[in-house]
Amino acid sequence: MSRARPPAVLRVSKLSVGWTGRPVCGQASFTLPAGRSLALVGPNGSGKSTLLRAILGLLEPLSGSVQLLGVEVDERRASFRAQVSAVLDDDAWFPALTVAEHLYLVARGHGVGDAQDEVDALLDEFGLTGHADVLPTALSSGQRRRLLLAAGLVRPRSLLVLDEPEQRLDTATRQLLAERLNAEKEAGGAVLVATHDPDLLAAVADRAVIVGDETRLVSTAEAVDALRPGVL
Amino acid sequence: MSEVECAVGPAERTPVPAARSMRRYNAAVARKHAHGGVTALLSDVYYSVVIVGIAVLMAIGALGQLPVHEPPVGTSHATSLAGLTAVAYLALAGALIGSAGRLGPVGAGGAEATWWLPLPVDRRGLLRPNALRMVALGGVASAVVATVLAFAVPGGTSPGRSVAGVAVAGVAAVVVAGLLQVWTAARVAVRLGDLLLAAAPVAAAAAVLGSWQPESVLAVPWWGIGLLGAVAVGGAFALDALLGRIPARRLRESGAVAAQATGALVSLDTRELGRALGDRLARQQRRRSLRMRLVGGPVRALVVADALVLARSPRHLGQILVTALVPALVLATPDLTGSVQLALAFLVAGSFAMLATGEASRRAEMSPGVDRLLPMGATATRRARLIVPGVVMTLWTLVALGSVGLWRADPLPWLALAVLAGPAWAGGALRSAFRPAPKWDSALVSTPAGAVPLGAAAVLARGPDVVVLGLLPATIAVLAGSVPQTLLLVQAVATAVALRWGSSTETRTLMDRLAEAQEAAGEARK
Repeated sequence: MSRARPPAVLRVSKLSVGWTGRPVCGQASFTLPAGRSLALVGPNGSGKSTLLRAILGLLEPLSGSVQLLGVEVDERRASFRAQVSAVLDDDAWFPALTVAEHLYLVARGHGVGDAQDEVDALLDEFGLTGHADVLPTALSSGQRRRLLLAAGLVRPRSLLVLDEPEQRLDTATRQLLAERLNAEKEAGGAVLVATHDPDLLAAVADRAVIVGDETRLVSTAEAVDALRPGVL
Repeated sequence: MSEVECAVGPAERTPVPAARSMRRYNAAVARKHAHGGVTALLSDVYYSVVIVGIAVLMAIGALGQLPVHEPPVGTSHATSLAGLTAVAYLALAGALIGSAGRLGPVGAGGAEATWWLPLPVDRRGLLRPNALRMVALGGVASAVVATVLAFAVPGGTSPGRSVAGVAVAGVAAVVVAGLLQVWTAARVAVRLGDLLLAAAPVAAAAAVLGSWQPESVLAVPWWGIGLLGAVAVGGAFALDALLGRIPARRLRESGAVAAQATGALVSLDTRELGRALGDRLARQQRRRSLRMRLVGGPVRALVVADALVLARSPRHLGQILVTALVPALVLATPDLTGSVQLALAFLVAGSFAMLATGEASRRAEMSPGVDRLLPMGATATRRARLIVPGVVMTLWTLVALGSVGLWRADPLPWLALAVLAGPAWAGGALRSAFRPAPKWDSALVSTPAGAVPLGAAAVLARGPDVVVLGLLPATIAVLAGSVPQTLLLVQAVATAVALRWGSSTETRTLMDRLAEAQEAAGEARK
């Protein structure tokens, strides 16, 4: 008897991305079911972030298609934005809003019923409780990264997209992040993460895509090997 | 929006709030943390209105006082002031649509792009105030220009009707740019705006050559203005309805440009403003790279690089070409012809052309890394950068002063003056390009336009100061209407001083140097 395959949250088919009409990497094709995670790995400039942006609808692909839950991606649809939580490398803050107020903004904007409990819990989890009432610009770069991660988790989602989330994080927070992403999978969420961190990759990813001139789907073990110095 | 089922996240859900409530949340929190209240806001608005009003009244008064002279020789081709004003309105439309296209006109930059755009709330509601602000700005800017022109140009249409008509047209122009942003891309609005701007000098030349001499400007009846207003309002409603269709990537791009441009305006940095409005549309890739065969040594390398920057910037080439025709246009408009107007046209148009030639230096000031790679001292590098602006501006001055010479029926002395005066602009171009930013950490001076740092005016004057000194003899010649031989000699000296001054690597102001000298003398006495 064949085991029932979980439904695909994300389906990427022959996706080509680039700038001014020129592809930055080979075509990507993969599916990401619910409760699974997929990592994008590759050297700097290989096209991981560009691929993520195209998947999120923030960049027009040169060719190919991206479907979220069976529907072509269009970030202008509110339902798409409600399903996908993305933590990119943004570092922009409302000048008058405190750390906690940024999280309330996201939680309330997504219709989270008990926003205060959710915000308090995430502030505590990411070690920001003592900084709840300060402006994000007063935080260290690592703390601001933690705030961005908290903002990505304070809202409901079916797909969590992270672009090099390990950047600027200390070892303990990287471990917390790995635990959080595994919990995300267990709860039925799908995780797409671009990373350079072999530990995070090994702890979280079910499969990986090596992004480069020939973008290809590989096992996690092969991707971890590829992250060794001198391989990619 | 109906609630969307998500696999992960807080279980307790409420309906997604309206965009307006998100904006209000931000506004309420900002008010809570702000130091100023409604009184401060009203005070700012009051001062802004007063400043604009005073500037408009001064411009109207000054334009009304300008003397008008009959040409010394008969000219067969001419246009009227009203004809020229119509051309100015064409240029205004181009500038408005082009600027609106470059700024979006609808955008979401910085925090708005990061925190608002991913929310599942109605995006239209989030963007509406921004769109409304840009449309209103188009109307107000047009009304200000129309007020000055309506009162400065005698006769014809009533000023009220002119101002109302142009303001409505300004609103319509921004709405058109907004609709183009929704349907196609901001680049189309930019091209349309640039096309209209380029059409303005062509129209001016056609008006002169065709001796088009209308007596009034835009004699559009009230019902016509009402009709245009109805179209503009209809377009604005259509734009509002379509705001949610603008992709986030375009909103982010436009927002980033608007934020950079606003920052440049607030910090009084015109170079940064130019980069904000121009870089987004610059080509990021060339079909092939040149082999640089002309380069043989560091000086040639700099000259070739500067020339390439200029040659690859059609906007700047157009700016130089169009401004060269401005003095000729003034001479071809009998209602406007006067030595003061001519001198003003020469200096203002020349300054715009000069800024275009200084683009390479402005970029070198921003990122001096390439200059540092060359085996040349700072002063030699700066002097090498005088060459391209010097040559281009000499050609520009030959056209500008040549037309004065033709009008005066004695071109040779004017052409000689142009050859001597032209390089002086290069000094201004370099001094302007390499001026330091105002010191925002120094003491602030309270002005009706807000607090500005001490010495900001001195910083802004760097560049224009060299123009005033270096072009003083040429300007005197334009005002006097003749070129005595002694003046040619004085011009040669003034140009030499302007070139030396403009290529100086000294960044301290005279006041700074005096203060430092005084401090050093004090130390020595101890």
